[in-house]
Amino acid sequence: MPGKNSIAVRLVLVITLFNAVISAVTLGYNYYESRDILQKELESNARNLAMSIVYRVEAQLAAVAKVAEGVVRSLETGKYSEQQFHTLLKTTIETNPDIYGLAIAFEPYAFSAKSPLYAPYYYREKDKIVLRHLENAYLDLPYPYWDWYQIPRELGKLEWSEPYFDEGAGNILMSTCSVPFYKDTNGSKQLQGIVGADVSLDALTEYISSIKILDTGYAALLSRNGTILAHPLKDTIMNETFFSIAEARHDPLLREIGRKMIKRETGFVHYTSLKGFKSWMYYAPIPSTGWTLAVVFPEAELLANARKMSMTMAAMGIVGVLLLTLAVINIARTIIKPLQVLTEATDEIAAGNFDAVLPTAQSNDEVGVLTHDFQIMEQSLKEYIRNLTETTAAKERIQSELKVATHIQTSLLPRIFPPFPDHPEFEIYASMVPAKEVGGDFYDFFFIDEKNLCFLIADVSDKGVPAALYMMVAKTLLKTESQRLGEPDKALASVNNILASGNENCMFTTVFCAILDTTTGEVRFANAGHNPPLIIDSQGVRYLTLKPGLILGVITDVVFETERLTLAPDATLFLYTDGVTEAKNTQDGLYGEERLLQALQNSPQDDVASLIHYIRSEVGHHADGAPQSDDITMLAIKITKKGPA
Amino acid sequence: MDLQTRTENNAIVITISGRLDTVTAPEYEKKILELIEGGNNRFVVDFEQLDFISSAGLRVLLLMAKLLKEKNGQVRLVNVKGNVYSVFEMSGFTTLFKMENSIAAALATLI
Repeated sequence: MPGKNSIAVRLVLVITLFNAVISAVTLGYNYYESRDILQKELESNARNLAMSIVYRVEAQLAAVAKVAEGVVRSLETGKYSEQQFHTLLKTTIETNPDIYGLAIAFEPYAFSAKSPLYAPYYYREKDKIVLRHLENAYLDLPYPYWDWYQIPRELGKLEWSEPYFDEGAGNILMSTCSVPFYKDTNGSKQLQGIVGADVSLDALTEYISSIKILDTGYAALLSRNGTILAHPLKDTIMNETFFSIAEARHDPLLREIGRKMIKRETGFVHYTSLKGFKSWMYYAPIPSTGWTLAVVFPEAELLANARKMSMTMAAMGIVGVLLLTLAVINIARTIIKPLQVLTEATDEIAAGNFDAVLPTAQSNDEVGVLTHDFQIMEQSLKEYIRNLTETTAAKERIQSELKVATHIQTSLLPRIFPPFPDHPEFEIYASMVPAKEVGGDFYDFFFIDEKNLCFLIADVSDKGVPAALYMMVAKTLLKTESQRLGEPDKALASVNNILASGNENCMFTTVFCAILDTTTGEVRFANAGHNPPLIIDSQGVRYLTLKPGLILGVITDVVFETERLTLAPDATLFLYTDGVTEAKNTQDGLYGEERLLQALQNSPQDDVASLIHYIRSEVGHHADGAPQSDDITMLAIKITKKGPA
Repeated sequence: MDLQTRTENNAIVITISGRLDTVTAPEYEKKILELIEGGNNRFVVDFEQLDFISSAGLRVLLLMAKLLKEKNGQVRLVNVKGNVYSVFEMSGFTTLFKMENSIAAALATLI
């Protein structure tokens, strides 16, 4: 079974991994992109919402301011009795539901020289409009010292007070719109007092708190110095400022936002809300009072949809990846199944079973082609092995036939020594060692009549089977012609004519042919291009000087010449082929004629067999393991001491 | 064995060096056959650097002479000396081949 590295596993791993990565990237991009779009949309929505609230609050405040200014105009243009003051205040409140209370606070002694302070104040108390005199209402601090009186008095213009608790008079959390009024005396304006119109902050905060933003979002109102006026966290109202919270939280971002609010700036920020949620906030100032309205959108809720969508997409992605994985596994199996079947079959082939049945190619795909190729390969291998077996068998047959040929060739040469036991007057010994299985050298000796012994040595050009065949012919011819003609020169001439006619391959042979008269020791000899023999007698060892004669088999009608010599008792004639003198050692050094001469001088002289064995071993010693390149053939004939009979 | 051929005066001059024996003779034979079949029939073989010739070498020389004779060609052997000359003398090759002392002399005798 294939392991971790199988094609199927790798295919599944790679495709699944890549698919998962692509899905994750797409999902992530989609999430952040939709978040971005949401944020832009949110900014626009938040601005619209905030501005609509700002306008509404501003409209309410402006209406109040207008009423206060209207009262001032009435006071400055008309003459009012005390009773008329009261009627003015009371009716104004009645007709303006946004106004919680309305006061006309005179400068000291401005109303009457008798009373230093005079400030009638009408306000709502449980659906009724009640009068209270401010000159008496404030116990600790007379009204001219209150901010709502002092600041517009000094500035000489309409002013909204910071929210405050009207302890002693209205007794609620309020903000007062104060407008100074003047009396025109001789062209110069003289401050008479302050008209103060109160707005209940409870009503305002109630309105702001009633604004619902999503499920957990909210709107908040902050005063000019950052005091919280309206907020879902009731405890913080009038108790905390934006800065005190920033300080407590060690949140510099919050402090920075607070600073911008105080500077009456508008902004859209991502921050952690006072309720502790990651949120987006849009803030804008309310122009008349300088307060700041903030609308807060909790991020979690905003992104809930985007998150939900992302989760759905992720789920779809995972399902998709799983389905794809299953599909890949399926495809991989379909691809690999035939491969596995093929692998099992080829394993058998690899183990040497060339008759293993390969699966039939199911389709034309790569596996099909591979299977087909394997089938062809299996056939080719079978064919090749069959051929190889046949070739090897044929080669073995040739080898064995060559062995037989060698055997036949050697058996054709006289091998029984001594060959003529009833001729004690001479000794003869010969040996032939072929370089290849069959050689081109040969020797022969035979009686042509009762007293004449013919002996010869020959070397056919080249070696191997062609030389051996040629040698057979030459040997047979030499024997028959010598016996027929009885003289070496005639025998050679006759054999030459036969060999030379129709010699297509230019084969030839050298021959030294001699006839010994065993009764006299006279040797008649003729040479056809062969190496000169050596003679060993009482005068020492020497090469015979021969007349040159042409090799056999080249051209017809060659004339050979018979020469003569007489072997004294104890003299030896030594015949050899160039395999002796041209035996090479490992440095390509030839044995040579001089060494042969020396060796013969040192050789044992008792009998010709030991002489030839000695030369053979000397030549082998010289070769020193170098391969034999030519046939080595030697023949020695010796007249015994008794001499010819 | 090393075999080099060049053309000089419309004749092929073959320079042979090393040994011409059973091992190298087939190579010489192949080369000569190619040249003769290629239409060349005037040859000079320089033996100046030939160290040794065996009966197999003599056979290819005979084959060459025979083929050239059939095509009315000629061959001259040059610088046959030392033991190579001894072999020639012993085998009677001196009577079979025309031999010269220099390539120039050999070329001059080729008509």
